[in-house]
Amino acid sequence: MKDNYIPEVDVTTDKIKISARNVQVYYGENHAIKDVSVEIQDKTVTAFIGPSGCGKSTFLRCINRMNDTIDICRVEGDILIDGEDIYDRNVDPVQLRAKVGMVFQKPNPFPKSIYDNVAYGPRIHGLARNKTELDEIVERALKRAAIWNEVKDRLQAPGTGLSGGQQQRLCIARAIATEPEVLLMDEPCSALDPIATAQVEELIDELRQDYSVVIVTHSMQQAARVSQKTAFFHLGHLVEYGETDKIFTSPEDPRTESYITGRIG
Amino acid sequence: MSNFLNVAPTTLLVLAVLILTGIAYVSARSRAMSSAGGDARKLHSLPGYYGYNAAMLTAIPALFVLVIWMLLQPVLIQNAVIEMIPASAVSEGSSVNLVMSDVRRVADGLNGAVKSGALTADAAKALTAADDVRSVLAGTGVALGSDVTAEVLAAAQRYRGMQSTGQVLMTAVVSLIAIAGLLIALRATTKTFRARNMVERFVLSLLIVAASLAILTTVGIVFSMLFETINFFKLHPWQDFFLGSKWAPNFRGDSDLSILPLLWGTLYISIIALLVAVPIGLFAAIYLSEYANSKVRAVAKPLLEILAGIPTIVYGLFALLTVGPFLVNLFGRGEDGILGVDWMSGATSVLTAGLVMGIMLIPFVSSLSDDIINAVPQSLRDGSFGLGATHSETIRQVVLPAALPGIVGAILLAASRAIGETMIVVLGAGAIARISPNPLEAMTTITTRIVSQLTGDTDFASPETLVAFALGLTLFVLTLGLNVLALYIVRKYREQYE
Repeated sequence: MKDNYIPEVDVTTDKIKISARNVQVYYGENHAIKDVSVEIQDKTVTAFIGPSGCGKSTFLRCINRMNDTIDICRVEGDILIDGEDIYDRNVDPVQLRAKVGMVFQKPNPFPKSIYDNVAYGPRIHGLARNKTELDEIVERALKRAAIWNEVKDRLQAPGTGLSGGQQQRLCIARAIATEPEVLLMDEPCSALDPIATAQVEELIDELRQDYSVVIVTHSMQQAARVSQKTAFFHLGHLVEYGETDKIFTSPEDPRTESYITGRIG
Repeated sequence: MSNFLNVAPTTLLVLAVLILTGIAYVSARSRAMSSAGGDARKLHSLPGYYGYNAAMLTAIPALFVLVIWMLLQPVLIQNAVIEMIPASAVSEGSSVNLVMSDVRRVADGLNGAVKSGALTADAAKALTAADDVRSVLAGTGVALGSDVTAEVLAAAQRYRGMQSTGQVLMTAVVSLIAIAGLLIALRATTKTFRARNMVERFVLSLLIVAASLAILTTVGIVFSMLFETINFFKLHPWQDFFLGSKWAPNFRGDSDLSILPLLWGTLYISIIALLVAVPIGLFAAIYLSEYANSKVRAVAKPLLEILAGIPTIVYGLFALLTVGPFLVNLFGRGEDGILGVDWMSGATSVLTAGLVMGIMLIPFVSSLSDDIINAVPQSLRDGSFGLGATHSETIRQVVLPAALPGIVGAILLAASRAIGETMIVVLGAGAIARISPNPLEAMTTITTRIVSQLTGDTDFASPETLVAFALGLTLFVLTLGLNVLALYIVRKYREQYE
């Protein structure tokens, strides 16, 4: 089951970055997330797996309050990042999202140049004092996202002109340009071919040196390859959460076992 | 011709063809069924298709020939009869065409007299110029301007004769074609005949005809304008039209007919209209598509679109009765006015027309922009929110740039409507052609001058009338250019985002 071609980097910390307690999410009448409590470690890749409609994307979107943009969505319970309740009245969701970056299922570069795509966040948040600093931030982000060599000669070309895999890495560069502490990825490889997927996975593994990465995926191989921790969601419940190795080799819950062996899904 | 139902013989002919069509449907259908031994499953197509096929073959060629015949017959008869009119019969100051219309009136009058029973058919034929044809016809309700000469009467009789021969021939040919179509269709109706394919091919050609009619009409409009425009430029130098500086039509001749003052008025009013419509329309669209919740949207959008349904003449009245006087109060009347200035003397002005036209264009801009903003993928907005952008930053920096080409297209479409608008400027802008930068003065536009040059007593041989066509064609080229540009931009935008 496990495809170990990415060398394991030792997890040096077990500091808790995100801590969710009794989270409930409702879409109108529909109870989408039922009493989920989970603690996500810093500088770790955590994978959320589960069948379609199990609530893993919904839960991911709670972590940066993207669900606020949906009128009928209601969140109860506490989610703490570094011990601070992000659903507190004093927290500005816009500021929060600068701290918790997000990469989406479909690559969604803005209809701007590659440079402007990456510079978008830093410009909004005023992270650069002058053009030189901005140039440095853009270059660093593109290098970090392992796409610098491919685009360094055409930074002014439109971001929409890149291939799918390049676009997705551009979106990752765009997300890390604002220097987030947490990176949320919602099925980042589902629209990519196997080679682009491999590149993005490699990148995810590198990113965990600096960030806490949470990734939602439909591919169990991918979860096994890139993550150190795995959470299995089923029908809105968090069924099982633990070390990836353990989840995939000796799951405790029969539902987890059924899912990873392909009996339910 | 016997006329027992007291309807035109052509109507009877059409009725006959339609009855034949009905017969064709029923008989082909039953023939198909019997060829399959009563089992519809053995037929190539559903039985109805055989019926439709036969009905088509019966009705369409026959009716087509009928229409062509009715279009051509008057032309052919006229050409034959016109030769009978000697040059001497055409009096001073008149023309062959005027005599010809007399001939037609006499012929129609005689037909009417026979029909109403005032004359027998033989008596009508036997009339000579010596009989007082004018009073005979006056008795049946046909008034003639002068006494009927021998030549005109002879021509009229010939006209009647050819008309009735033509009618008989037409009836014969059309019925023959209908019957032939019916027989051919029935012969072809066997269980293996692919009736369904035939019917579908027919429907396809129907669609093609509809599409080409729309295009041909446009071409026809352009050509009719083009010929009159060419006539105009034969009578009037093009240098004056395009490069002159004065618009002063004078029906005794020797007019200054330059488009430039009119073009200036048109563009000035359009620009003011766009200055009003684009910001308001765009902001309304942004509010409706990005901020308004579904309840507000459900009420506000139809309300805004009601503006689009108001006839432009009503906007014109609004300009004349409300906006114009208000502006005079504001900018005019010296000490009595609101601002105490005396810049504006009359209610009609560029500003009046521009403001009201702008109001007219608001729903146009807002509803097109709203559609375009809604078409920007949600994933782009999510991407921007996910980076910690606020809603307004997202709109300003992501949504609007993405929608910009489409919005430009919408603005250009609005501009071409503004340039072609007539009723608001007729009532709101005044009638003085001049090139002036002052928006509080009355000016006039191309469209209003077209109206004024073509209303009243017109002589289609004078440049003062024909200039209307040159103006119309220029306007057409202008708006066509804008529309093509707008469509080009909108299409380019679409390629980028799908």
